[in-house]
Amino acid sequence: MADNKKETVKETVETTGHQWDDDEGYPLKEYNNPLPRWWLYTFYATIVWSVIYWILYPAWPLVNDYTRGVLGWSQYSQLEEELAEAREMQKVWDDKLATLSLEQISNDNTLLQYAISGGKAVFGDNCAPCHGSGGVGSHAKGFPALVDDDWLFGGTLADIEESVQNGRTGTMPAHEEKYDGALNAQQVDVLTDYVLSLSGLGHDAQKAVAGKELFEGEAACVVCHGDSGKGSLKDVAFGDPIDRSVGAPDLTDAIWLYGGDRTTIRTSIAKGRTGKMPAWGEGFSGFGRKLDPLSIKEVTLYVHSLGGGR
Amino acid sequence: MDGASATQQETYDYDVVRKFTIAAVIYGLVGFLIGDLLAWQLTYPDLNFSSPYLSFGRIRPLHTSAVIFAFGGSVMFATSYYVVQRTCKARLFSDALSKFTFWGWNLVVVAVVVTYPLGLTQAKEYAEPIWPIDVLVTLVWVAYFINFVGTLAKRKEPHIYVANWFYLAFIITVAMLHIVNNLQIPVNWTDSYSVFSGVQDAMIQWWYAHNAVGFFLTAGFLGLMYYFVPKQAERPVYSYRLSIVHFWAIIFLYIWAGPHHLHYTALPDWASTLGATFSIMLLLPSWGGMINGIMTLSGAWHKLRTDPILRFLVISLSFYGMSTFEGPMMSIKSVNALSHYTDWTVGHVHSGALGWVAMVSFGAIYHLVPRLWNTSIHSVGLINLHFWLSTIGIVLYIAAMWISGIMQGLMWRAYDQYGNLTYSFAETVEAMHPYYFVRSVGGVLFILGSLVMIYNLTKTIRKGHPV
Repeated sequence: MADNKKETVKETVETTGHQWDDDEGYPLKEYNNPLPRWWLYTFYATIVWSVIYWILYPAWPLVNDYTRGVLGWSQYSQLEEELAEAREMQKVWDDKLATLSLEQISNDNTLLQYAISGGKAVFGDNCAPCHGSGGVGSHAKGFPALVDDDWLFGGTLADIEESVQNGRTGTMPAHEEKYDGALNAQQVDVLTDYVLSLSGLGHDAQKAVAGKELFEGEAACVVCHGDSGKGSLKDVAFGDPIDRSVGAPDLTDAIWLYGGDRTTIRTSIAKGRTGKMPAWGEGFSGFGRKLDPLSIKEVTLYVHSLGGGR
Repeated sequence: MDGASATQQETYDYDVVRKFTIAAVIYGLVGFLIGDLLAWQLTYPDLNFSSPYLSFGRIRPLHTSAVIFAFGGSVMFATSYYVVQRTCKARLFSDALSKFTFWGWNLVVVAVVVTYPLGLTQAKEYAEPIWPIDVLVTLVWVAYFINFVGTLAKRKEPHIYVANWFYLAFIITVAMLHIVNNLQIPVNWTDSYSVFSGVQDAMIQWWYAHNAVGFFLTAGFLGLMYYFVPKQAERPVYSYRLSIVHFWAIIFLYIWAGPHHLHYTALPDWASTLGATFSIMLLLPSWGGMINGIMTLSGAWHKLRTDPILRFLVISLSFYGMSTFEGPMMSIKSVNALSHYTDWTVGHVHSGALGWVAMVSFGAIYHLVPRLWNTSIHSVGLINLHFWLSTIGIVLYIAAMWISGIMQGLMWRAYDQYGNLTYSFAETVEAMHPYYFVRSVGGVLFILGSLVMIYNLTKTIRKGHPV
């Protein structure tokens, strides 16, 4: 129907009579068809829509002001309203979080789920760049995994909160002469074999014996890693407890911060390592963004939940 | 007949048209290649090979400048010089100016290719060139304007054909945009400070950038469309009246639309509203060009079965119609709140840039080359192959970006039952990976199509000779 109609129109409509580019191919001509009605009316409709919009919303600049619109809307009032609504919704939970201790929160399952949900969001935007999405860590850069049950500075709620709040520094000194250490290359080699032997990895048994002597003696590894190499949290050095804040890893559990192959272990001994967890608490400056006390609580509970707690 | 074509050879300057046509084809390929490298870098970030010269931030503007100004610009110069001569029955105003615009424009392109990877930029999107290059662009553009208007002035036809209105609007407006957005105080040969600051600078920048789309990629290419569609379809333009009304409506309305790029920012609410409403009012005027182009085919639809050049032109109008519908929708504040800063915008731009600008340009180039070298096309089958490779490539690109963009927007605003964000930013990036891959593959198809065109055109030019 519509098509037939158009055909008839076209037959009756003349071209404008103008003609261009007629020296080669089909010359350019123009029909003088009227504006399509649907096109024109839809165009008018968009103009009407716009005028209504201008009446309702801020629209036209004036000399010292602008037309504010009858709805009284502004993007700032919209933001304030939405934020107020969100704050209202979270206030009940946040008030409790602020007053209760980490242990008390852990014992209230609904509150704990709320805190973990918030902690996940805090973690994703602040911690994940190093520790990975979901806390898987990175061997290449020495960022510890948080999903296992192996902790450098302790996995209790208080330990984790302390790590987030004040940060941590774990320093493994360099031991080889060429990196200003006290051992020669051969001594570093035998130490490497001993460290490999601690977690049952392939090693030279004879060298490992020599390495053990160094470990307990001249190299003084036991001071931090403990008499049996189980790390500062679990082991003792010459029978005495080790300072927890040293953060020396357990060398016997086959979980490695920088990787457990011979070359990597040797590099760790020879050149040393420095791991730095920045401080996120308020009052600290430098790397990292300040986290408010509530966010620190939330992220602590979230990280605690990752490894299943200790 | 021989006598007639002899006069024609004297009358028209096809040399500059041929040069710009070749430049367009080469710059097109280069621009597409850089674009697809960027797409692969987004899929696999290591593909920047840790080189500062290949880093995303430096070559992304190289891609946009290469496709808009090197490829698009060369297409505009080539077709406008061709169309204005043929529709005015007059040789270009000045051979010297024609040569100056060609070599000047290419010098601009070379300067851009050298400076961007070195990190020399004024950091304004689509207006990255440092101030000495801006000055050169201005000189070339003024020469272009004089050459174009001079040709119109000495025309032997009583009326100015509609294509030339669009070309002229494009030339004048781009000059205005370029000059105002680049008002700056140089401090040395490579650095300068914009005379605008803060939100006013942002407003001027997006007034410029949106109208670069409006007048460079829309008005200019509508001029192209108004010549090549009726010429290739061998039908009169559908409606003279519609062309007048939609021309003036576009010219008046487009220039207001820029603020829709700055919704929910420091830009005042009233400016934001005007940007959105003028974008909505722009929908039908934009569609006027599509209607006029597509309706020109009534009575000639059967030609689409046999003529792949016409198919390029018609599908470009379809993409044009789609993206000029999508654009106004995205300018509405509540839609924009979802779409802004997501890949949806990137998909939208490419449905216009690949679907409309590149496709209509390919159609025009296939029409031009046999006429410029006085021969027939080497292979119609290869044009058809190019058509399908490009079309499938574009569809993959746009569909992937719709999905990833809308998903990205929804993930950013997703809250759990406790009112906390459900996803971290890194998780949204991870979710987009498969769609980035599909987009990159779409780009490969588009590049393959472009290579097919280059082969076909080379064969065609080899067997022809310049007229």
